[in-house]
Amino acid sequence: MTAEKIKTIADLEDIRIKYNKDLSKYKYQILVCAGAGCISSNCATVRDAVIDEVNKIGMQEKVKIYETGCMGTCAVGPVMLILPDRVFYTELTEKKAREIIHAHLIRNEIIQEYTFFDESLKKHVPEMDDINFFRKQIRIALRNCGLIEYGSIQAYIANGGYFAAYKALREMSQLDVIGEVKKSGLKGRGGAGFPAGVKWEAGYKQNSEEKYLVCNADEGDPGAFMDRSIIEGDPHTVIEGMIIAGYAIGANMGYIYIRAEYPIAVERMKAALEEARKCGLLGERIFDSDFSFDMEIRIGAGAFVCGEETALMASIEGHRGEPRQKPPFPFQQGLFGKPTIINNIETFANVPPILMNGGEWYAKFGTDVSKGTKVFALAGDVINTGIVEVPIGMPVGDIIFEIGGGVREKKKFKAAQIGGPSGGCVMMENLNVPAEYESLKKIDTIMGSGGLIVMNEDTCMVDTARFFLDFIKDESCGKCVACRVGTKRMLEILERITRGEGEVGDVELLIELGETIKETAMCGLGQTAPNPVLSTIKYFREEYDEHIKNKYCRAGVCSDLFISPCENTCPANVNVPGYMALVASGRFIDAYNLIRQENPFPAICGRICTRPCEKKCRRRTVDEAIAICDLKRFVADYAMQNEKAYTRDIVFPKNGKSIAVIGAGASGLTCAYYLAKIGYDVDVYESNDTAGGVLAYGIPEYRLPKDVLAHEVKLVEQAGVKILLGKEVGRDITFKELKATYDAIYIATGTNLPQKINVPGETLPGVLHGIEFLKLANMHKNIDIGANVMVIGGGNTAIDSARTALRLGAKKVTILYRRTADAMPALEQEVHEAMEEGIEVVELVAPVRFIAGANGRVNKIECVKMRLGDFDASGRRRSVLVEDSNFTLDTDMIIPAVSQYADFPFIGKDEIGVTPWGTLVLQEDMQMTTMEGVFAGGDVVRGPDEVIRAIADGKQAAISIDKYLGGTGRLNKGEAIKVPEHTDEDEIIAHNRFPLEMLNAETRKNSFEEVIKGYHKLNAMAEAMRCLHCERRQ
Amino acid sequence: MVNITINGNRISVPEDTTIMEAAKSMNIHIPNLCYLENVHQFGSCRICVVEVEGAKTLQASCLAKVYEGMVVDTNSPKVRKARRVLYELLLSDHAKNCLSCKRNQSCELQELGKTLGVEETRFNGEHSEYNLDTSVSITRDMSKCVLCRRCVTICNEVQGTGVLNAQNRGFETVIGPAMDLPVGNVNCVFCGQCTVVCPVGALKETDGTKKVWDALGDPNKRCIVQVAPAIRVAIGEEFGFEPGSQVTGKLAQSLKTMGFDDVFDTDFTADLTIMEEGTEFLTRVKAALTGENASLPMITSCSPGWIKYIEHTYPDLLDHLSTCKSPHTMLGALTKTYYAEKISVDPKDMFVVSVMPCTAKKFEVNRNEMKNNGLANVDAVVTTRELAQMILEAGIDFKSLPDREFDNPLGMSTGAADIFGVTGGVMEAALRTVYELVTGRELPFEGLHVTPIVGLERIKEADIKIEDPLPEYKFLDGVVVKIAVTSGLAGAKILMEQIAKGESPYHFIEVMGCPGGCITGGGQPRSKDPDVRMKRLKGIYSEDESKTLRKSHDNPYVTKLYTEFLEHPNSHIAHKLLHTHYTKRGKSNEFVEIKYLLDEVMPMSEQGKKVEIKKKESSQKPAKRIHEDLESVRVLSLQAEVNRLKKELSDSMETIDILKEVMSDLSKKPS
Repeated sequence: MTAEKIKTIADLEDIRIKYNKDLSKYKYQILVCAGAGCISSNCATVRDAVIDEVNKIGMQEKVKIYETGCMGTCAVGPVMLILPDRVFYTELTEKKAREIIHAHLIRNEIIQEYTFFDESLKKHVPEMDDINFFRKQIRIALRNCGLIEYGSIQAYIANGGYFAAYKALREMSQLDVIGEVKKSGLKGRGGAGFPAGVKWEAGYKQNSEEKYLVCNADEGDPGAFMDRSIIEGDPHTVIEGMIIAGYAIGANMGYIYIRAEYPIAVERMKAALEEARKCGLLGERIFDSDFSFDMEIRIGAGAFVCGEETALMASIEGHRGEPRQKPPFPFQQGLFGKPTIINNIETFANVPPILMNGGEWYAKFGTDVSKGTKVFALAGDVINTGIVEVPIGMPVGDIIFEIGGGVREKKKFKAAQIGGPSGGCVMMENLNVPAEYESLKKIDTIMGSGGLIVMNEDTCMVDTARFFLDFIKDESCGKCVACRVGTKRMLEILERITRGEGEVGDVELLIELGETIKETAMCGLGQTAPNPVLSTIKYFREEYDEHIKNKYCRAGVCSDLFISPCENTCPANVNVPGYMALVASGRFIDAYNLIRQENPFPAICGRICTRPCEKKCRRRTVDEAIAICDLKRFVADYAMQNEKAYTRDIVFPKNGKSIAVIGAGASGLTCAYYLAKIGYDVDVYESNDTAGGVLAYGIPEYRLPKDVLAHEVKLVEQAGVKILLGKEVGRDITFKELKATYDAIYIATGTNLPQKINVPGETLPGVLHGIEFLKLANMHKNIDIGANVMVIGGGNTAIDSARTALRLGAKKVTILYRRTADAMPALEQEVHEAMEEGIEVVELVAPVRFIAGANGRVNKIECVKMRLGDFDASGRRRSVLVEDSNFTLDTDMIIPAVSQYADFPFIGKDEIGVTPWGTLVLQEDMQMTTMEGVFAGGDVVRGPDEVIRAIADGKQAAISIDKYLGGTGRLNKGEAIKVPEHTDEDEIIAHNRFPLEMLNAETRKNSFEEVIKGYHKLNAMAEAMRCLHCERRQ
Repeated sequence: MVNITINGNRISVPEDTTIMEAAKSMNIHIPNLCYLENVHQFGSCRICVVEVEGAKTLQASCLAKVYEGMVVDTNSPKVRKARRVLYELLLSDHAKNCLSCKRNQSCELQELGKTLGVEETRFNGEHSEYNLDTSVSITRDMSKCVLCRRCVTICNEVQGTGVLNAQNRGFETVIGPAMDLPVGNVNCVFCGQCTVVCPVGALKETDGTKKVWDALGDPNKRCIVQVAPAIRVAIGEEFGFEPGSQVTGKLAQSLKTMGFDDVFDTDFTADLTIMEEGTEFLTRVKAALTGENASLPMITSCSPGWIKYIEHTYPDLLDHLSTCKSPHTMLGALTKTYYAEKISVDPKDMFVVSVMPCTAKKFEVNRNEMKNNGLANVDAVVTTRELAQMILEAGIDFKSLPDREFDNPLGMSTGAADIFGVTGGVMEAALRTVYELVTGRELPFEGLHVTPIVGLERIKEADIKIEDPLPEYKFLDGVVVKIAVTSGLAGAKILMEQIAKGESPYHFIEVMGCPGGCITGGGQPRSKDPDVRMKRLKGIYSEDESKTLRKSHDNPYVTKLYTEFLEHPNSHIAHKLLHTHYTKRGKSNEFVEIKYLLDEVMPMSEQGKKVEIKKKESSQKPAKRIHEDLESVRVLSLQAEVNRLKKELSDSMETIDILKEVMSDLSKKPS
């Protein structure tokens, strides 16, 4: 294209028509993304392959292939888009690209598996417009990004480019332009959100011969690359925006300050500037108006602080990039001492559409107070990382879960860092907060420039704060004391905490220091530097306290604090790598005893544990997590069968003190066991005829056989614990008597009463609540089981009830759940097994009414449909009733299994602290209730929870009771067991888990025989050898 | 005027006033550290923060300007707390070895701590450790630096030398020459202005006192001391006198009391300089007027910092400098020749000490050019501050000393010599002599003061028209001699640029390296009095006016010196002893090999290199939250106890069984 000067609107029109006509000659357009993300995943080879293949099939005349800027889906690059079909292919390789050309262009077939995969829908979505990631966006600043040739001014003009500049320069006064921008409500998108129009007006009003316009493209937030994407994908929109702004304020010179780390952006912007200049769109008398404007690129020196406007200007002037005190503000005294207006890339990119469509059009997007759209860079543990543009005010949760696709690997969402290192956290309970300047400010974070980093449950918030501060500390310019020394000292304190050297008072010191820095630092960088720390302290104070007081990092990040991630995650802190090493070397009894040091119920936990450890197993990153729990079961079973082989517990001589434990469940027995071993006389009061609590009555036999339970209870008794069966406190002995008789009491009565669901008909015959049903089944009582059973709920009790009903002879079992199946709190494995056995799950329904039949027994259930609404405090989407969606289903038995609650009728509720949920209140850092000498743990404190946590509570209670009674709080864990040193230095070879023997679904449906049969000895040893031994560190 | 409220009191102050200035006018002192009135308003220490109603954050009062209706609290709990935390932060990265610091009890950081009432710092982290950087003139100890950046402002904006700057960033920020070079290896001119403004012990003169004490203690040395003109109006400040107080007599007495054999006065050679330099100037002018080769303007050469500056910055313009040595090296040269001969002492046994207001003099005496007959003209230089410290150490009660005259033959001076200590003084002294030499009449200014060149402005100029000269100077009739005077190197740069471009209108230029001249030299007492320069200036002029002889050529001892020894100004022997030549250095010392470093300091390669700070090794340590000790010993002993008891029990059981058996046996037996 020859460089003819563009002077009139007709010139622009000509170019537009010609370009579009040109395009219409082609049957297909293939757009290959050449954004920075795709470049690093090697899109060039894809592009070459596409060109090569198109040539090979001789379609070069019919296919236009070109590179575009970032399409936004950086996680699945390289990507390409084929027009006019708008099919979006992802994760391309050279080979895939060639296949696609053949299939798509010749056979007219879409290769589904190469198209975009929606993780939450679990399917491929080939067409761009159907993909949630794109569907929910509104692209104004990014309107051309990824859709046009970034290197062609004709392409830009053909898409409406430079028409706005023409309009502004030829048809509008300076004040008109400013008025339009003011009307649009556009705020500076660089971070502070100052209204652009107001700023321009201030610049316009300055009386000065010389004024400057500066574009800030020094995007330094870790994980943010919005501005980069715009420059790389649509450089002319920035130029056009700056021409308009320059005209409005009366500046004839613009500087665009791009950080040196963006070489591609610099290169593309340079080329665009040259082209614009050639076409006369920069330089003297643009569009034959009186306005002259030119621009220069200034390359930043790679300092974060140069994003601060005064430092940026110092840097442009050639000085050390250090901020200075404001006022004077840049609009008064800026670059070279002249009035200067600074905006960032995204702000300028919004200007041309605003001028074209009018301020009112732009103001239609967004909220009452903040208008328009905002570009975000999604990063971190989210599925669809990349660049997105959404209307301001979209809830943060929607951005993360709808567009971002949610948290990767089904991990739990923990928090999102918004606003870069100087921003703050958006918590689970704040997911409904609109992404809007004002609303974010209310929860102590900032919109910032649009970095949005999603963090999952494996994120340690103390470590996160440390990470951000480490960044900030390095980026402090060093000018003022507050930031230079303050951030360093804050970092040092945080480092100490993460190393386990934190001291009580450190958090208060961090707060004091942080607030002083915020109050006294010279520039925005320093004033916001403590935000990540203050924000995490505010929302995650308990994590700080755990690090400092308990030397515990719940996320398993601060590696100085634990042996290995699995050990760290285990509530009972079982030395997992230790027993892995013992199993691998064939020392099964030692392995068993090593587990029993921390957990007296290896055989039980080996069967029913929820296995939090395996979720953190680092072997997952190679292939599959180690079967930690199954190996525990293996050694426990082995020990059971070879009883004489293992040493008995060592019991200290009696110390003359006695303890009463109420409830012989997992928690009560654990506490009793550890106390007995250090010399206490322990009596356990159990109202039922069998010990075990929920283990005996709540868990079906196919998961936990009775003899296994009986065996491990017996071992507890052997340690000296007296279990008084059929003795109910309040009936057979009063609580008062207990208090008078014993030195301390441990209440571990669990949650044994079913929560009513409160619908009409709940008392009808044929309605039986989950735990009652399971108890009867476990006691082998006769149950009038229906043929068509409906179970209501999504927890383990619901699944257990459903599977038990099936085994008791139900013909059809259906589970009704008010959310979606993937949100069920029950163990995934159990849900899977249930479905294998033929149990049906109906999602998003809630019961309204149980209806009796002619015989008086329930024979219908009326339900209502639910849909997912906004986020609740647990970060899950609320289920919301769909009006007028009632329907009825036939049934002859209903098992509601929604929740349980605790009851302890033997104490007056006013004598002891009780939470609103009916559980017991504990004093800080110990297991003691508000009543002197009375301790509690397990579900009676936690509400319905996992067995392993009940065990951990029992152990903790034993320590607390011993301390309370004057002991050291040191438990007797028997003789030390020397763990063999791991010497295997072989390279790691991928190998999935060794499989367990299991009953097939058909057999197990009709029997209560244990479903899982456990490991063969050799497989067990081999499985243990898969352990990576994270405990080894240099 | 702007109406504001400070601490509840209303006040009207001019626009553009800072909060700190406004508060000062209400007798409220806002604590500060980096601030230096009229020089450095930078806001880096943040100590001066105050609470301004409606402001988002606390405001640095040294920078924040007042506005109508502003409401300020300089002493709110929030402000006090912030200042204390900031001070703790400052202290946490400071060397804190106060007892052995030169600035002990004269340290602004110490004083601030006292003001703020801080007793501890709760922050104990990494401390920036740097090696000492010692040059002949200036010693830098960056582990004491508080990064106030006063030195950077002085070095860049006042002196325009641009040697010191902030390097690196964040906590790693350190002030120094680029690329961590030692200050002795770069184009630092050793003016020492940075050492004057440094609030702590980070920048100071390199110690010269040790050598002097050693010489004084050596019975085989004849110790000779001389004091520069500017010393006498400043040293009193170190002993409680007002700036500008004349303590010349006490000064001479104190030196004698310390044990110097001869107490001479650099003023004497100042007079001599006028004779030499005046003659040189007339020669150059004559040459120029008669079409011969001559470099004009001629520029004075008594300020060694200035000399080093021109050698670095304008190495091609060195022939504009007067070839005269500086007065104290002239005196040194004469002492080891003229005076040595007179008293029959081997010059090798002489030890000449110069007390100077200047740190660059320490460098100057090390120059090869400042040697005659293989001997350095001057053996040691101590600054005013150092001399005061020596007097203190010697236990001399300076305030109560009687007055004493300087020793002759090198101790007498005229008023013209006194004013060498102030900007414009050398020029005025020269004019007093040259004008009279040329015309035979006294310089036509009231009180002999060339008023246009008196004062503290950066560049001053004057025209002197020569009318009706003596016959031998007929060639000067009607000539207007254009002169310029500047002090501080930023001004010198302006004048030098004119020369470099060939646009300089002047014939004679006086340059002093330090702003105001030697009265505020880099070796002078540090003062917080904003009027200190003016007071010392006045002191100098009144010293001049108090003398009967006020023109150098009237000094009888100078006349005697020429008669007895030097023959006439610019004679061959005068050239040999009193004149010098210069070295082209270049901006980055590209033309020279010599690096002016003391021999006792560490080898150059290690100079200025940052000490690696060893991070605590944390990886080796076991997990913090280890499982409780298993108390194996206790357990095993308990087990042993159990076994013993069991065994005892079974033993007794056995005994019982045996007894039972015996008993039953017995009972079974028929009786």
